[in-house]
Amino acid sequence: MGSLTPVETTSDGNFISTRLDALINWGRKNSLWPMPMGLSCCGIELMAMIGPKFDIARFGAEAARFSPRQSDLMIVAGTLTWKMAQAARLIYDQMPEPKWVIAMGVCSSSGGMYDSYAVVQGVDSILPVDIYVPGCPPRPDSVIDAILKLQKKIERESPTKKFFSGEAFVDERGSQALLYQPNAAVKRSSLDLSPHDPRTGSKNAPEPAKQDG
Amino acid sequence: MERVRTALEGCRFEQRSTSDGIPAFGVSREDLHEVLQRLRDRADFVAVTFVTAVDRYPSEPRFELHHQLFSLIHEDRVRVTTELSEKDAKAASCVDLWPGAAFMERECYDMFGIRFEGHENLRRLLMPEEYGHHPLRKDFPHAGIEPDRLYRKWDRERRKNWDPSRAGGAK
Repeated sequence: MGSLTPVETTSDGNFISTRLDALINWGRKNSLWPMPMGLSCCGIELMAMIGPKFDIARFGAEAARFSPRQSDLMIVAGTLTWKMAQAARLIYDQMPEPKWVIAMGVCSSSGGMYDSYAVVQGVDSILPVDIYVPGCPPRPDSVIDAILKLQKKIERESPTKKFFSGEAFVDERGSQALLYQPNAAVKRSSLDLSPHDPRTGSKNAPEPAKQDG
Repeated sequence: MERVRTALEGCRFEQRSTSDGIPAFGVSREDLHEVLQRLRDRADFVAVTFVTAVDRYPSEPRFELHHQLFSLIHEDRVRVTTELSEKDAKAASCVDLWPGAAFMERECYDMFGIRFEGHENLRRLLMPEEYGHHPLRKDFPHAGIEPDRLYRKWDRERRKNWDPSRAGGAK
């Protein structure tokens, strides 16, 4: 039963009374349907995690679906480029509520070693991330640990409060969650010059592109 | 290489030293197309391996344009190098000789800003079309200039056309 701490049990054991929040969360956390967003080498570890050797079926998350409509956990596994960022956000938008995101590996957590013009410096600048998994790539055990931590996080949510307050039905048009705001890493990239940059002290440095926001 | 010397008789070129043993020739920009055509027709270099450039910033002339050719019959290679200045970074396209060079010239244009005259479809290959910079130039900052530009534009459109009935969750 896990977190479903029974408040009252009848003597014959056929009835149990508990809080609705605990019941809903118990159902959600034990049947996560991951959407494997395998973008690079982390995807291989993700496959190993789903396969029989590490076997996330033990934690109820083995039903990997490649359609966002049928999944509620997005595992961003690998380097997210700015070109792919649109697709990633679109897939996230198409997932039904409730939904969670795991950033697997350093590339999706912070850009990793790719401090480059092509790579998103952390997927948290375009998606709300719940759990970050370090490693390059992380071992399957680390990601399983992340799923266990996410289950603990889901336990603490209160879906009924969300439902009765109307928060779950708010049109996202005006909400900040929908709005892309460049993180510090992006802002820095257009201004700072590294000490090795040949541009330092040169007279014909290229003009930074005009802000179009 | 005797075959190449015979093919290039009458052209101005200088032999360059290379560390990998592939014979390399420096030619001027005006002679480039003529040299490439002769190498293809008279010296059996039927394939182009790559068209790329090197940025020697801040020295001038800044760019070195490299064409590496391959002969399937003789199984040997030759490299043709052309120096281009920053202000006038353009060269003749070799798409009419090797149609396969089209993508390589587009990439070269995208990454270095070298224009190829005679190329019918010289658009950017990897970077967004309206991106005003050339990433493989040595004076381009490592972390990029506004790398999120395309995404930001797309995100604005997405918010404008947001349809709650199609998005997950919202009712």
